[in-house]
Amino acid sequence: MEEKVLELLSNEYPEIDFAASDALVDDGILDSLTITGIIALLTMEFGIVIPYEEIVEENFNSVNALAKMVERLQG
Amino acid sequence: MSFTSFFFFIFLVLLLLVYFHVPERMRWVVLLIASIIFYATWGWEKLPFIMLLAWIAWVAGSMIGLRYSKAADGDKEELKKARQYGRIVATVAVILLLALLMYVKVGTLLVKSLSLEGGVSIIVPLGISYYTFSLIGYVLDCYWRKEQYEKNYFKLLLFASYFPKVLQGPIVKYRELEPQLVAVHRYDYRNLCYGLQLMLWGYFKKLVIADRLAIFVNTVYGDYHHKSGSMLLVATIFGAFQLYCDFSGCMDIAAGFSEIIGIKLDRNFNHPFFSESTAEFWRRWHITLGVWFKDYVYMPISVAPRMMKLMGKVRKRFGMSAAKNVSTIIALSVVWILTGLWHGTGLNYVVWGIYWGVLIILGMLLGPSLGKLCVKLHINTDSREWHLFRKFRTFCLFVISRFMTIPGDFKVTLEVWRKIFSIKFYPWELVDGTIFNMGLNRPNFVAAILFLVLLYFVSRHEENGESGRDWIAQKQIVPRWVIYYGLLFTILIFGIYGPGYNASDFVYMKF
Repeated sequence: MEEKVLELLSNEYPEIDFAASDALVDDGILDSLTITGIIALLTMEFGIVIPYEEIVEENFNSVNALAKMVERLQG
Repeated sequence: MSFTSFFFFIFLVLLLLVYFHVPERMRWVVLLIASIIFYATWGWEKLPFIMLLAWIAWVAGSMIGLRYSKAADGDKEELKKARQYGRIVATVAVILLLALLMYVKVGTLLVKSLSLEGGVSIIVPLGISYYTFSLIGYVLDCYWRKEQYEKNYFKLLLFASYFPKVLQGPIVKYRELEPQLVAVHRYDYRNLCYGLQLMLWGYFKKLVIADRLAIFVNTVYGDYHHKSGSMLLVATIFGAFQLYCDFSGCMDIAAGFSEIIGIKLDRNFNHPFFSESTAEFWRRWHITLGVWFKDYVYMPISVAPRMMKLMGKVRKRFGMSAAKNVSTIIALSVVWILTGLWHGTGLNYVVWGIYWGVLIILGMLLGPSLGKLCVKLHINTDSREWHLFRKFRTFCLFVISRFMTIPGDFKVTLEVWRKIFSIKFYPWELVDGTIFNMGLNRPNFVAAILFLVLLYFVSRHEENGESGRDWIAQKQIVPRWVIYYGLLFTILIFGIYGPGYNASDFVYMKF
C-alpha cells in the first residue's frame, strides 16, 4: 500500500519528494491546498471516505502514515 | 479598562502579586476572576451574555464527549451513531452561538439604521467575534474528536474569557491554551524581562506610531470632501501602517503579559509587509483568524463528500488539475465572503472580502503561467529588485483594500478614488507644506516617519531570523537598561494621550 500511495502522490506532485521526510506537514512541505488535493486523490483512487477527524498532522506527515490511514479506512 | 489605561497597569501589578502568592492549585482561579473583573469593567451587564455563550459550548462539548466515551468500547455501528448524535448537537450549538453573535452584530446595525435608540438597546460585548469563534472551534473539535471535552465549566469559561486575548484575539485552540492556563507557573525573571520587553514594544507601536498616524488619517478622512486626492492617498498609506501598529501592538501587549506569567499565546502577525504575494500576506496578517477559517470552513468544505463527488466528475472530464482548482475556488470564495462579513456587514466589507478572494484565487491560478512568462521575459526572479517589487506590489494591494475599509462606506470609497484619479489629486500639496496641516505639524509628521523607519529596521532584523529580544538580553546591564529606559521614555514623551491620559481604543476591539 505504501508503494502504491507513494507512486500516486509522486505522479500528481512531482515537485515534492514525499519519501524524503516524515514530517511533511510539520516542516511546511504540504500546505492546505496540497493536503486537500491529496485527500481528493486518495478518496477517488481507493474509494474511501476520509472523515474530517482523520485530517490531522499525524496522518499526513509521511507516506507511511497516509498508507496506514487508507488501510484503516478501507477496513 | 483598556490595555492603555492607567488602571490596567495597577490591575496587572496586583494580579501578578496575587497570582504568584496564592496556592498553586488556585492559580487558574485567580486568572478566571481577573478575566471576569477585566471584562466587567466594560460593563457588568455583558457578563451573563458571555457566560451563556460559554455554557452553550460547554453543554454541547460535554454531550458530544460523553456520547463518544460510551461508544469507545462499542463496534463501528456505535461509533457511527455517536458521530450522528455529535453532528446534531454540534450543529445546534453552532447555530445558537452564531445566532447570538448575529443578534449582537445585526441587532446593533438595525437599531442604528432604524434610529431605535430610544428604549431599545443591544448589549454589545467587546471582542464578541473572537470569543464566539473560539467556542465554535471548541465545539467542532469535540465533534471531530480533535479535542477532549472539558468537564469543568469554569475552566472552559477561563479559556474563552482569558483577558489578554478576549478583546482582539488571538483566536486560540482550546487544546493549546487550556493546559497552559491550568498549569502551575512560577515567577521567572527571564519571563518577566522578555514579557515586559514585548509589552513595551507593543505600547510603542500603539501609542507612538498608530495613534500618531490616526490623527492624520482621521483629520483627512473626517473632512474628505475638502481634501485633495494626494492627501487622501497619504492618509490611506498611513492608515495601512496605523492598522498594523494598532493591531499588532495590542497582540504584543497581550502576548507580553502572558509571557510574564508563563503562558504562550499564538502569534498573530509575522511581519506581513515583507510578503511577496497576497496568499503569503494572509499567512502573516491576523494569522489566527486565517487558521480558524482554514480549519473550520476551508478544509471541511474542501473535503466534504459532496465536494469529492463534484471533483470526481470534473476530473473525469477535465483532469485532476481542474478538479483541484474547482474545489479550491469554491472553498476560497466561501472563506473570503465570510471573512468580509466577519469584518463588517456593510457593502464595503463584502467588496473587500471579494477583492481579497479574487486576488488569492487569481494568484493561485495564474501563478504557474506568470512563472513561465518571467522565464520568457528573462526576468531574474532571484534578484533583490524582483523581491522588492513583489513586496511593494503586495503592500500596494493592501493599501487599495484600506481604501474600502477606512471610510466605512463604499460611496465614500468611490468618491476618494475619483479624487485620486482626477485633477483633484493636487500633487503640489505633498511639498508645499499642506501636509503639515492635517493634524500633525511638521515635527510630529517627521517623528511619525522616523518611528516608521525604526519599525522597519527592527522588523527587517527579525525577518532575517535575528531576535531583537535576544539581542537586547545579551547586552551588558547598562546598555540593556539604556534601551529599556529609552523605549519607555519614548512612549511617555511621544505617545499620544487623550483626556485623563487614556489613549484611543484599539481598532479591532469592536469585533
